[in-house]
Amino acid sequence: MSAPARAARAPAVPAAALQVEAVSHYFGSLEVLRNVSFDVAPGEIVALLGASGCGKSTLLNLVAGLEPLQQGGIGLPPSASLGYMFQEDRLLPWRNVRDNVAFGLEASGLPQARRRQRALDTLALVGLDGFAQAWPHELSGGMRSRAALARTLVMQPDLLLMDEPFSKLDPHTRSQMHEELLRIQAAQRSTILFVTHDVEEAVVLADRIVLLAPRPGRIREIVPVDLPRPRHPTAPDVAETTRHLRLKVQP
Amino acid sequence: MSNASPSALRSAGLARRAGAPARKNWPRLLLWRALLLAAFLACWYAAASRSPAFILPGPEKVWHALRGMMANASFTHDVGMTMYRVVMGFLLAALVGTPLGLALGASRWLAEVFEPVLAVLNTVSSAIWAVFAIIWFGISDATTIFVVFMTAMPLILTNVWQGARNVDKQLVDLARSLRLSRPRILLRIHLPSILPYFFSGARLAFGFGWRVSLVAETLGASDGIGYRLRQAADLVQTDQVFAWTLLLVVLMLALEGGVLKPLERHLFRWKPH
Repeated sequence: MSAPARAARAPAVPAAALQVEAVSHYFGSLEVLRNVSFDVAPGEIVALLGASGCGKSTLLNLVAGLEPLQQGGIGLPPSASLGYMFQEDRLLPWRNVRDNVAFGLEASGLPQARRRQRALDTLALVGLDGFAQAWPHELSGGMRSRAALARTLVMQPDLLLMDEPFSKLDPHTRSQMHEELLRIQAAQRSTILFVTHDVEEAVVLADRIVLLAPRPGRIREIVPVDLPRPRHPTAPDVAETTRHLRLKVQP
Repeated sequence: MSNASPSALRSAGLARRAGAPARKNWPRLLLWRALLLAAFLACWYAAASRSPAFILPGPEKVWHALRGMMANASFTHDVGMTMYRVVMGFLLAALVGTPLGLALGASRWLAEVFEPVLAVLNTVSSAIWAVFAIIWFGISDATTIFVVFMTAMPLILTNVWQGARNVDKQLVDLARSLRLSRPRILLRIHLPSILPYFFSGARLAFGFGWRVSLVAETLGASDGIGYRLRQAADLVQTDQVFAWTLLLVVLMLALEGGVLKPLERHLFRWKPH
């Protein structure tokens, strides 16, 4: 670690929902991130797009506080709550769907009855009402993904962090989940930072795309996506933007 | 999309739940098992009618011996003593084996140091423990308890260790991302992950402990089922030996079907069948 390090986690700028400032990161002697800076406005959807090995997930873990910050600063509004959705659904196999969703509120200090009620409400939001009592192994991949989304949404996070949460779903289910996520985001004005290596997914979902270059991970370009919504992957403008971006990602 | 799918999803889910166990076949199964039992009794009867009673007593003679045995005043005492020793040895084994297994699972260093100790414990036969126990504790409860303990403890330890090593790192990370405290994570993630391993270890340990307790009692006790077994054998009361054996089998089946199976079914109802 070659740095002044121990940067403060909140250089208070209330305008942004998230501010990443000059973040660099090392795993031992391996440089994974170099001088990454960008910010996310409230209610905005930002995609971190890049090939594997460009430190996308590390960046997300730094924001979530799962990985200790070495260099640079990450600014969040005071008392901002974060929701983290992983690549795998990570449902606890010994809890039924309702209690898995309520697990998102485990650290909230709410009484159990309240947690369960909110879990049920959130299950209805993601279209899983009627499955509260099912065990995770009884659900299909798409339903498990919905349950994981509900677990993240149940705490009403100010910032939603997503690490390729739909990458393991089949294409049809994935675009269903995209629509679902956008519907919920529009209704709740959530702020979302999500990681993907899928250009099309980034174009369909994001307001802005942060293009990362690999080894070490650094920002190549920040691309605003000004296409009207809803965006369909096969629509000409979406397809064109996707093609254009793909050329930038894989030169 | 959510307009059409929920009902379709629901029916798929229900179908999968209902399809799990094939319960319809149970009368046929029961019938076949009854036939198996009848065949066994018939073979026993036929064989017994051809041999002297001190080598192979017939079913009705064993039944008679069993009734006589159960009428005896010392019967409940003997069964109770054996139970007490097995349960004590087992509880001690769980009390010692569980924390040791957790410690080995938590520290790779400890695990590497203690691995040979475990290998040694697993290779020493229960009969050898019984001999040691008689040297150290003489004819007393401690002898049997010690043998049960030495047999059951490594089994519980190994299983809990296995479980502790197999706790899913991803689920721990999930709990950390939800800002759960360290003790909370142990309670909500580690404990339910290790419980199935502990349970299967405990079940194995109890079964083994129960069996070796009889060996220990034949050598180093003055009451209990094992002692009565040896006494009956020494006096060539073969029908009594058979009666005790029958009783043991019934006790074990009752414990298995009456306590362990239902408990397991309840604890692990979340597992796919």
